[in-house]
Amino acid sequence: MSVAYIPVQWNRFKYWYDAALALAVGLYLYVFVELGPGLLGQDPPVTPQIHNARAFGSCAFLMMTVILAIGPLARLDRRFLPVLYNRRHFGVMTAVVAVSHFLFVFGWYFAFTPLDSWEAILFSNRAYGSALGFPFEALGIVALISLLILAATSHDFWLSFLTPRIWKALHYLIYPAYAAVVGHVTLGVAQSEPLGFPILVWAGALLVAGLHVAAWAHERRRDVDSGAGSWEAVCRPAEIAEGRARVARLSTGERVAVFRHEGRLSAISNACAHQNGPLGEGRVIDGCVTCPWHGFQYRLEDGCAPAPFTEKLPTYRLRLRNGFVEVDPRANPPGTPVTPLEAGA
Amino acid sequence: MSARDEFFVGFFPVPPGLRAFLLAAGALLILVFGAVGWLAATAQRAPEAGGFRFDLGEQEVTGVLQLSPYPLLYVTEGNERLPAGRTMMLSGGGKFSPPQAEGMDGTLVRAKGVILKRGDLDMLQIGWGPEALTPLEGAAAIPAEVPLGRWRLTGEICDGKCAAGAMRPGRGLAHKACANLCVIGGVPAVFVSAAPVEGSEFLLLAGPDGGPLPEAALAHMAAIVTAEGEISRRGDLLVFRIDPASLAPI
Ligand code: FES
Repeated sequence: MSVAYIPVQWNRFKYWYDAALALAVGLYLYVFVELGPGLLGQDPPVTPQIHNARAFGSCAFLMMTVILAIGPLARLDRRFLPVLYNRRHFGVMTAVVAVSHFLFVFGWYFAFTPLDSWEAILFSNRAYGSALGFPFEALGIVALISLLILAATSHDFWLSFLTPRIWKALHYLIYPAYAAVVGHVTLGVAQSEPLGFPILVWAGALLVAGLHVAAWAHERRRDVDSGAGSWEAVCRPAEIAEGRARVARLSTGERVAVFRHEGRLSAISNACAHQNGPLGEGRVIDGCVTCPWHGFQYRLEDGCAPAPFTEKLPTYRLRLRNGFVEVDPRANPPGTPVTPLEAGA
Repeated sequence: MSARDEFFVGFFPVPPGLRAFLLAAGALLILVFGAVGWLAATAQRAPEAGGFRFDLGEQEVTGVLQLSPYPLLYVTEGNERLPAGRTMMLSGGGKFSPPQAEGMDGTLVRAKGVILKRGDLDMLQIGWGPEALTPLEGAAAIPAEVPLGRWRLTGEICDGKCAAGAMRPGRGLAHKACANLCVIGGVPAVFVSAAPVEGSEFLLLAGPDGGPLPEAALAHMAAIVTAEGEISRRGDLLVFRIDPASLAPI
């Protein structure tokens, strides 16, 4: 749909989204930092710098947990999709909160020493070989650097510069970063604080893992398993609603979206050329498949974005056999015209 | 069209059915953040009581400086809080030993500083500037070190400053790197024993030669360990010359 790189624009929904996020984070920090000492009623209290470091660190963990929960939630219930589109703002805010955590730790635990602070944070504890007393700070640094890379490359410019495939692969970095944070907590604060806090962290990690498994199982059930063979069956024509698609996983591992438009069927790749958005979850608007993520459009008959745009998708050939729609799993080169299949009602 | 069927594209206005759902999701998000903030904040262990005693004001005492294994002051003329006969551990600001003490081993000095105290573990943080630690004319005797034999103890190696409350919490594995830094910087290392030794819960730590803790012992910082070594008494302070080879985590 775009001639060159077009950043996705701001709109009112995004302002609301960011406002809700800022409120949530603000509330967390207010409760922890401002109300925390009073709620605990400890005398003497935890040193304020340490209290702040804990507040920002745990907040960043919660933010990462929610970010990672949004993906599977949107796959389980499409109403979460709008939340998914703006995950980048969430990611950048998380990086800011994580950096604050780092600065509190760095400027307190690793300051006022004869060693350089960087040397101190990496080498003052060298028990890299043992779980007990492991220098868990290093794991936190790995996660922080990952978050910073993700935040720095979150802008659309990088998406177009790196290509969606590489960009998406790079952004899977969030998973190792999350694992590093769980390790950071498990080898750090969990070894010297009561179990309450580590339990919160492990519960968050379990939730993220559970949602991913649930979404995966959900999609397996929904995808029609087309079965190997030269042509692969998708479904009966009547199962595809007007203006909508059925998605099938082909024996090649690719996903194909079979759309019905004005009673005729056409098949295109399920992955949007913009950011690999799920086209099969989109719908036909003004004769074009419209991606649910950012609204890029493609003509059904040849997989091309309408002029002046230049994106092209692979198309697939379809046929009817024994009452089933079948697809030829060998994709046509992007932009290849295919005559839509008359499918009747 | 049911809300589930609502179709939304990033930059189109949100359809009304979805709007209610998203508003509810937003409200839930805010609520969850507030609730988790409360749970996480209240899950913190109360730090051990202890800290700087600025309320007692600056202390000014006279005594003999000893620099091994760590800076100590044997008080010869004190006040009611730090009476003559006490052996005080000394630290400088931050994670340093008092820089003014360099080259003054065995010297009679006038020391100014603030007390750090947790239970019977206390330390004097010497102020900044040369006037905080000034050499005096004359000399004073220090009591001979009394050997108490070889012991096997269970407890934790800490830096004496944070353990006395300079940081809260100032012990435990999450504090390990910081404790190493303090000891590397020359702050006295202490052993917090699980069972009191001769009436004291903590002992000043030294290497087997009576010098500072060897690197091998730093690896066990902040973990609960058993250790063997010679114990002796200097004034009212117990010194534990730890044998690094005997250190074992439990
Ligand atoms: S992924 Fe952005 S429009 Fe399809």
